[in-house]
Amino acid sequence: MIVPLPYFLVVGAGLFAMGLFGALTRRNAIGILMGIELILNAANLNLVAFNRAWGTPEGTGQVMALFVIGIAAAAAVVGLALILAIFRHRQTISADEIRLLKG
Amino acid sequence: MSVTDGVLEKAAQAAFYVVALATLLGAWWAVSARNLFRAALGLALALFGVAALYLYLEAEFLAVVQLLIYVGAILTLILFGVMLTARIADPSQPRWNRQAGAALGLAAGIGLGLGWLYLNGAWAAPGTAQPPVALAALGKTLVSGYLLPFELLSLLLLGALVGALVIAKRE
Repeated sequence: MIVPLPYFLVVGAGLFAMGLFGALTRRNAIGILMGIELILNAANLNLVAFNRAWGTPEGTGQVMALFVIGIAAAAAVVGLALILAIFRHRQTISADEIRLLKG
Repeated sequence: MSVTDGVLEKAAQAAFYVVALATLLGAWWAVSARNLFRAALGLALALFGVAALYLYLEAEFLAVVQLLIYVGAILTLILFGVMLTARIADPSQPRWNRQAGAALGLAAGIGLGLGWLYLNGAWAAPGTAQPPVALAALGKTLVSGYLLPFELLSLLLLGALVGALVIAKRE
């Protein structure tokens, strides 16, 4: 490897921390979705980096990353459909104002 | 190794810092921009950066998949969502909720702790350099050992497709 393994892991940790911050604090539901995508990318980066450094030639880590990308796509599709439906009914996608289930 | 190879390697190592910095900067824009459209552009920068990091890890197929699915499909979807739901750039709307301080502390603690662990942990470097994963081997792994999850994933995507249509359609 041209660049040692811990450098990739540090970038992954930074992506995860920022994604966590975004998912916890964004008031806009689409912003929360973006934070979740960042967290999934951080996990993928770690999987691929570890596979490169220590993995077997079969590339199990890369296969896992492919599965994560596929599931992230499904999550984004359903999440955005829900956001559109909520916007049509309530005219807002601010997570603070969506409290239909709060008594 | 010839002299030019050494120079190229040094240049690639220097470029890694640029790529890593751009990735983290894009991620910060994605979570902090007041205008959601700019946040999506920051997310695009971060996703491009991760694709470049995959190239550094010699995972060319994953880099292409990252560009096609994340930048090509998911980001387009997010931009559509941003444009279809109004009030995206209202400056009177605070961008973060009231837990921002506590969440910043938690995220910074986890990020810095993990970073410290990664840089100071006892990572025994592998003695011999591993060969990069060949594309043929990757395909073989995907459809031999992981055939059932692979097919289940296609079922999941079909369910997501139909479900999203049902949820988002007008009554």
